[in-house]
Amino acid sequence: MKKYFYKLASLLMLVLITMTSCTSDDRDDPISVQPPSGDYTDGIFILNEGGYGYSNASVSFFENTGEVYNSIYSEVNGMGLGDTAQSMGFYGENAYLIVNNSATIEVVNRYTFEFIATVSDMIVNPRYIEFSDNKGYITNWGDPNDVNDDYVAVLNLDTNLIEATIPVAEGPEKILLDNGKLYVTHKGGYGYGNTISVIDVASQSVLNTITVADVPDGIVIDNGFLYVMCSGKASWTGDETLAKLFKISLSNTNETIVLNFSAEQHPSYLEFENGILYYTLNNEVYSIDNNAFQLPENFDFSPVADGVEILYAFKVYQGAIYIADAKDYTSNGEAFIYNLNGDLQNQFSVQIIPNAFYFNNL
Amino acid sequence: MRYFVCTILFCIGFSSMLHSQTDSITALREVRLIAYRLKDSTYTRNVTIVKDSVLKQNQASLTNFLNFNSTVYFKENGLGMVSSPSFRGTTASQTSVLWNGININSQTTGQTDFNTINTRGYNKIEIKPGGSSVADGSGAIGGSINLVNELGFNKGFHNELFANYGEFNTYGIDYQTNYSSEKFSVLLGIARNASDNDYPYPETDRININGQYHNTNISLAATSKLNLNNTLKVFANVYDGRRNFSVPTPNALKTKYTDFNTRSLVEWESHFSKFKSNLKIATTTEEYRYFGNIDNDFYTYGKVTSFISKYGLDFALSNKILLTAGINYTHNDGKGSNIASETRNLSAALISFKHVLSETFLYELGLRQETNEQYGNPLLYSAGFSTKLTDFYQLKVNTSKNFRIPTYNDLYWQGVGNPDLKPEESYQGEISNNFNFKNLSISLTGYYNYVENLLRWVPDSSGIFRPENTNKVQIYGLESVVTAQKSFGNHKFTGSATFAYTVSENKETGKQLIYVPFYKFTTSFGYNYKRISAYYQYLNNDEVFTTTDHATEHILDSYMVANLGAEYTLGKNRDYKIGAQILNFWNESYESVLNRPMPGRNFNFYLHLKF
Repeated sequence: MKKYFYKLASLLMLVLITMTSCTSDDRDDPISVQPPSGDYTDGIFILNEGGYGYSNASVSFFENTGEVYNSIYSEVNGMGLGDTAQSMGFYGENAYLIVNNSATIEVVNRYTFEFIATVSDMIVNPRYIEFSDNKGYITNWGDPNDVNDDYVAVLNLDTNLIEATIPVAEGPEKILLDNGKLYVTHKGGYGYGNTISVIDVASQSVLNTITVADVPDGIVIDNGFLYVMCSGKASWTGDETLAKLFKISLSNTNETIVLNFSAEQHPSYLEFENGILYYTLNNEVYSIDNNAFQLPENFDFSPVADGVEILYAFKVYQGAIYIADAKDYTSNGEAFIYNLNGDLQNQFSVQIIPNAFYFNNL
Repeated sequence: MRYFVCTILFCIGFSSMLHSQTDSITALREVRLIAYRLKDSTYTRNVTIVKDSVLKQNQASLTNFLNFNSTVYFKENGLGMVSSPSFRGTTASQTSVLWNGININSQTTGQTDFNTINTRGYNKIEIKPGGSSVADGSGAIGGSINLVNELGFNKGFHNELFANYGEFNTYGIDYQTNYSSEKFSVLLGIARNASDNDYPYPETDRININGQYHNTNISLAATSKLNLNNTLKVFANVYDGRRNFSVPTPNALKTKYTDFNTRSLVEWESHFSKFKSNLKIATTTEEYRYFGNIDNDFYTYGKVTSFISKYGLDFALSNKILLTAGINYTHNDGKGSNIASETRNLSAALISFKHVLSETFLYELGLRQETNEQYGNPLLYSAGFSTKLTDFYQLKVNTSKNFRIPTYNDLYWQGVGNPDLKPEESYQGEISNNFNFKNLSISLTGYYNYVENLLRWVPDSSGIFRPENTNKVQIYGLESVVTAQKSFGNHKFTGSATFAYTVSENKETGKQLIYVPFYKFTTSFGYNYKRISAYYQYLNNDEVFTTTDHATEHILDSYMVANLGAEYTLGKNRDYKIGAQILNFWNESYESVLNRPMPGRNFNFYLHLKF
């Protein structure tokens, strides 16, 4: 019996030694097939921000044929996009990818997705980008624990260098151009903001500040009116405030209509198409006629029924509503396309934490 | 009496024999037993004990040491950065780390960052797989790691200096001075480790930016035999560490993190007739500061002061029966940037019974009653037996109920903390088969662990992360530890290996938890010829899922890493050693956390002097 065990043990040791000299045998990563033409015209980019700190941001492409291509940035360029892709913007032939925790802006050709440049100097916690006259304007939180270092960076689109910064209040978020002025929402960064900065593009300076309600999230400008969806502070902040929807006349910013949401309601997003404003509340989709401008009693439809767990991207574009679900933040997300009646038209899997849709010459 | 001693020797002997490279295998030495020397719950489960000499051949961080020498899996955010364990497929906060028997897991996170423990401060480490909440309290679900300062007597004045230097300006200095007389022994140790840690990422043109760290550990242990029946021990430890967190991408905002932990313990042991009493009184402080921007003085922090007292009374009913009763009390006082000042009192009573039924059979029972209404006053238990079936085969069976209470962050984080959380509960059973021969020992353990009310931070419907009692987790697996040694004349060979197969699945989805590999395998070989020694360490981790849907494109590949070392002993009394190591010998390009590359092949030298 003892002898048997010695034999067994010797054998075991031999196996162990053999194993030692092998290297690990990894499984092949699935190869993302890319569009045959190699170009990304006529389709929708879905930005997947990736897990914070995990450097796995990526871009998916939904071709108008219905094909979905994942991780197009890394497939085309052979490198990762970076850590936490926040947003994207188009200007001319280029797409500008704002990568928040990497503190970079990756410039690519919007049709081939081929890498052109990385902007990294004077970019700290970048959020959103807007364009005017061959310049990009990028909101930056700076050090999020410093309430005084926030700014809008001015990017020279020819040199891909930041040529100026415009200091603004804490937590600049979305940025929108209208009639030579930039409107910047101050969602508040690590804190909670309640203002809109108005920046004069010509002088690159803040003209004035419009005070709205807490946590301005969605912003839309149409026909001389600025619409701002303020989510209000959520209950977990310990100082819950009401959500409000603002309709502000840009010719006279004192001329304002405000709709108050009920207590404990915290809507997000604001989209506009054909005279209708769209927003979401508790993962459900609501709409408002911009003339009547009255809060609806009921939602239009509920994507929750289709399995949406965390509505993390919301876009209305050419008669369709685009929604992305971030799931539990640690699995591949999903995209949903609805018609305006709320009928599900399409549904497809994307990558980690999809946060926005961008339409390329559809 | 003689039989009894033999039995106990036998029971303990196997439990403790593992690991070594050039040093011979460590068994619990000097087991001069009298009945009340029976200790807590170590008889019906296996424990691995690693001694100083082996520790010295490993890198200073507890992460590195356990990674290469145990079945514990580690997730390390780049070398030296935040490191969390998964012991037997459990979560990071389900491994309890003990310092001379006192739990030192962070009260704020529930975890120990294994890169903030410097193994140089200790001369013995015990690795105990499996739940041991009855003895060790909250958090001992996957297993426990006990860091021990052990003192000898009658050895006079001794000094030891260990110094290493390696690539990336990595250095370590460890000085220990020890004095012992017949009745008194004191040890003072000072260790410092630091590194620029700017290693290149293999197969890329990037280097590890902002990864530098340094830490200092001071440990003091003293023991005095007051008289024949009373012994007083004093332990103290201070750890002061600073790390910059390496940036995930080159242009990211640089951050840093500091830890300052102190621990002190007074232990009074006394025995009289059939009783032995042990009183431990300890205070610990833990404080971290996180600087979100290295260039800014602003930081967030958490600070907890704890007072722990443990009293145990052993009563030997006969030579073969030991009854133990004990009381534990813990008081925590914590505050932080996101936690208003909160105090917490925990107390528990425990009782255990051990019986050596025959020369070959021992059984034990333990009960622990927690008296904390907030957590439902759980009653924990542990029961098991150990039997020697043949002269080389021993069987151990153990079952237990264990728990982990919510952490300070879980309960009190402003706005999202949830004071109504229930503790995690774990029901487990294990069977160990130990085979022991002259030159070889093999242990093979199968276990099952069912965890309820798993505490996790999960997003609610508005996307805000909040702590919740979430899933049920079912864990089962096999682990094996093999050690062997053989000499041919002056040629001495030693070998050891650990193997773990772990299934840890969410009961609802049936899917393996993220960052839990199915397989982990380590092995080490040592060779010694006169004054020359060489050793080889090898680690193989299976692939892990990084997403809960197991999407294949996000799987983190398996990896193997090996270290090769050699040392030469000098001096008339063989008191001096010089050594060299090649770490990551095969220059494997690997990550243990997604997109956090580890270093490629690098070199390290050391010097070990005793005087």
